[in-house]
Amino acid sequence: MLKKLAERFFRWYCHPDFYEDIKGDLDELYLREDAQTHRLGPDAWLMIEVIKLFRPALMRRFILFPYSNHLDMFINYLKIGFRNLMKHKAYSAIHIFGLALGLASFLLINEYTSFEKSYDRHYADSDQLYRLTTDNIINGKLTVRDAMSFAPSGKMLMDELPEVLSYTVTHKRGSTVFRKETNLVDEKMVLAADSNFLRLFNYPILAGNKDQLLVEPYTLVLTESKARKYFGSADPIGKSIEVLGSFNRPFKVVGVVADVPENTHYKFDILMSLKSIQDRIERDNWNGFNYYTYLKLTPGADVVAMQPKLEPLAKQYIGEESNLYFNIQPIEDIHLYSDFTYEPEIHGSAKAVNFLSIISLFILLIAWVNYVNLSTAKAVERAQEVGLRKVVGARKQQLIGQFLVESLLINFFGALAALMLAQVLLPQFNFLVGKTVLTSVLTNTAFLMKLALFFLLGTLISGFYPAFVLSSFKPIGVLKGSFSRSKHGTLLRQVLVVVQFAASLILIANTIIVYRQVQYMTGRDKGIDIEQVIGLENPSFQRDQVDQFRSKYKAFNEELDRLSGVEKVGGIMNLPGGGSSDISSNAGGVRIVGVTDIIDGTVYINAVDEDLQEALGVSLVAGRNFIEEMASDSNAVIVNETFLKYLNINDFESVIEEKVQFGRDPENDMFRIVGVFKDYNRTTLKNSVEPTLFYRSRIPGNMVVRLQGDDPKAAIQTIENKWAEFFPDSPFAYSFLDNRFEKLYVEDKKFGMLFGNFSILAIIVASLGLLGLASFLAIQRTKEVGVRKVLGATTGSIIMLFFKDFIYLLLVAMVIGLPLIYVSMNGWLSNYAYRIDFPWWAMIVACLVIGLFAFATVGFQTYRVAILNPAKTIRYE
Amino acid sequence: MKKYPLGEFEEIVLLTVGVLYDEAYGVAVKDELEKRLERKVSVGALQSALRRMEEKGYLNSRYGETTNARGGKRKRYFTMTAHGKAALAHAKNLRQRLWDDIPDIALDF
Repeated sequence: MLKKLAERFFRWYCHPDFYEDIKGDLDELYLREDAQTHRLGPDAWLMIEVIKLFRPALMRRFILFPYSNHLDMFINYLKIGFRNLMKHKAYSAIHIFGLALGLASFLLINEYTSFEKSYDRHYADSDQLYRLTTDNIINGKLTVRDAMSFAPSGKMLMDELPEVLSYTVTHKRGSTVFRKETNLVDEKMVLAADSNFLRLFNYPILAGNKDQLLVEPYTLVLTESKARKYFGSADPIGKSIEVLGSFNRPFKVVGVVADVPENTHYKFDILMSLKSIQDRIERDNWNGFNYYTYLKLTPGADVVAMQPKLEPLAKQYIGEESNLYFNIQPIEDIHLYSDFTYEPEIHGSAKAVNFLSIISLFILLIAWVNYVNLSTAKAVERAQEVGLRKVVGARKQQLIGQFLVESLLINFFGALAALMLAQVLLPQFNFLVGKTVLTSVLTNTAFLMKLALFFLLGTLISGFYPAFVLSSFKPIGVLKGSFSRSKHGTLLRQVLVVVQFAASLILIANTIIVYRQVQYMTGRDKGIDIEQVIGLENPSFQRDQVDQFRSKYKAFNEELDRLSGVEKVGGIMNLPGGGSSDISSNAGGVRIVGVTDIIDGTVYINAVDEDLQEALGVSLVAGRNFIEEMASDSNAVIVNETFLKYLNINDFESVIEEKVQFGRDPENDMFRIVGVFKDYNRTTLKNSVEPTLFYRSRIPGNMVVRLQGDDPKAAIQTIENKWAEFFPDSPFAYSFLDNRFEKLYVEDKKFGMLFGNFSILAIIVASLGLLGLASFLAIQRTKEVGVRKVLGATTGSIIMLFFKDFIYLLLVAMVIGLPLIYVSMNGWLSNYAYRIDFPWWAMIVACLVIGLFAFATVGFQTYRVAILNPAKTIRYE
Repeated sequence: MKKYPLGEFEEIVLLTVGVLYDEAYGVAVKDELEKRLERKVSVGALQSALRRMEEKGYLNSRYGETTNARGGKRKRYFTMTAHGKAALAHAKNLRQRLWDDIPDIALDF
């Protein structure tokens, strides 16, 4: 038994040349006394000797399958493939460069889109976390969806609904002034949050007792970088920072958490305990929804099923008469899908992400298509090789294998080049998307894995069809020489060229349209003159020192007005050019007493002083501005055109001196309309102008300073000097209004830039493919061209003849592409309240560009063939 | 690259093949080696040394007659080549020169 096994084993591995004599030696030795008397028996002796014989010098050549030459053939395929690459250097370069561009841009975009999709997924139970928001439903119609909610609603829902495990209430404070030694620092990212906040959002706690964070009033939790900023390397726990503004008292630092990652929709630098603003919460109670509330639900809780339970709760707590309802949304969807009012930051767009994914797929597909196209077109060159291989015994599978290996080779070089390209382009890419999506592709395993995956996928996708076509040639046909032009894949090739044309058309037209829309939005007349106008945040003051501050503020305003660089100073509560949520609103119903019924829905509220109209350049369409000296103007308001249209009033003059009343209670305060402002855009042109009411305030929150003269820098310097004189305790922070508006379009511009850049890449890849294809087809028909020339054809007519083939394809591409452009871009434009009309000319331009490109590529390649001397080209047959 | 790559065990095997002259097949070489070295030699070590040296050109081989004791399998006889002789001579000379260069006093025990 053991002997048999040993012999079999030996036979299996021993080199056939050595087998006979060594086996003979073993047999001879086996019968000897030494072996027969071995302590484990003669069979074991044999086995031991056989194992000792298992040495490289005595083994046969090991390949996985005995008696086969697969490995040799594989090596041969590689060799032949490589020779083919070298033989057609230009085509190989086109393939490799195209694949590299395609893969690199596909993978980079993929990194970006997966980053965008990764928002808020880094918490421990992120799939159980939801945000409580407020819907405004009027007569069954959903009007405004607001990201904020009432402060007590989180606790109420936890008490009422078993699905709610826990909740946290937070308030976004925006900018708050902190004192760092003698300097004042305006911190923009400050949240007030309750002690549950760090339990729901499990940021790593680096210092502090984790049960005691944000429990006591007037305590702070800093992020790591802020802790370093305020305390350097010292331990911040237990130390104090003075918070100015309405607090004006020291806050104790009780904890440090890790910095908030970029892919978080609700970012902060500093947390203060919610109890620090207890008075405000009590005041708001069920009256104002100014809080971001997050809920943790039971695993697998069904939000849709919960919705009916929320409705009666809204009636019960917010009020029978109210239009406001609770809504729950998963936090993982907020960044890409939620565009409510008062979102805490400019959100991403699922649409943009999907658009980009599609472009990147386009580019990759085009690159693959190039390979398929050119290799099937070139099949004729390999036909004889295939025929011969078949004659000497190659089977079809072997040939498929051979051509797949060639595709593997090309794709491998393409992937290698893609890796280098991606590494080189990464900084530009990060700049383009405005985020550091990746620091290096070479060290990112996920990226490398994806590269490997798409390299293999590409090999199969792009290699399979050509391999199939090439391997199916009949040896008799190709070897007899009757086979001259490949009919194989002609239809497919045409389809693929049409796809490329159509994709390029769509990308070009869309780029033009996105670019035009962004340009339109930045350039459109907003109804106010914001050139050379800066906004200044008012200095903070104590509540009990209002009167003192008011006179100081007035004096400061007068001082500024006297400066030579300043034309006019006004005041406004919400500066133009802020985010869409940077304004107050009232959703409690409004009417003009005796003129209209109560209209439900949201109206927006701003406050201005009597100088604003001039400082900002707002026109009055009816009535008058506020007048400072007039005491009766304390209850006066100015409304905008949209406000009156909202109340169905078209004769603006008729409402002057009429009274506006909010809410349903007829005892509520009434405001006298003294004037009507012409509509102006206060924020992005995605939003239309809201119905807005301006009441009068003497210190409305921000100053608007219109500069004059040629030197705005110097003017700002003099303003700053005055500021330091008047308000030494407040930081001087200004912004140009036109810059503020520009910033609103950052996302749109980014989208446009990405779209444009990658469209160019796609077109480059597509024209590379077209170049290869056209040149090959032209060379194929060299003899035909010769004959035509002999018979009198001109170079021009030959070029047109060749180009005609592509014209048909281009026309088909237009038929397919143009409707797609219209559908997709009209949809995109309808997101904007102020949009350009659909620019039909963009389609024409796109068609012309593609046509020219095609003509240039095809024409150039044909020209090279067409100018050849027919005497040379048709000499041999 | 050494001119005559030859391991110590290989050298001894090559010498033994020379000693056996026309009778040097696997088992004979093994027996001779074991007698002279006074230790066991495994078939594996021996055979791989033989094949390696054949590859290097120090040995030639031919098939011999069949005997019943070997289950009808032929023996492979090894003979030294001129190149093999040169390799041995080289090794011997090297050792000889080293011997010669040892000062007498070092060997004076």
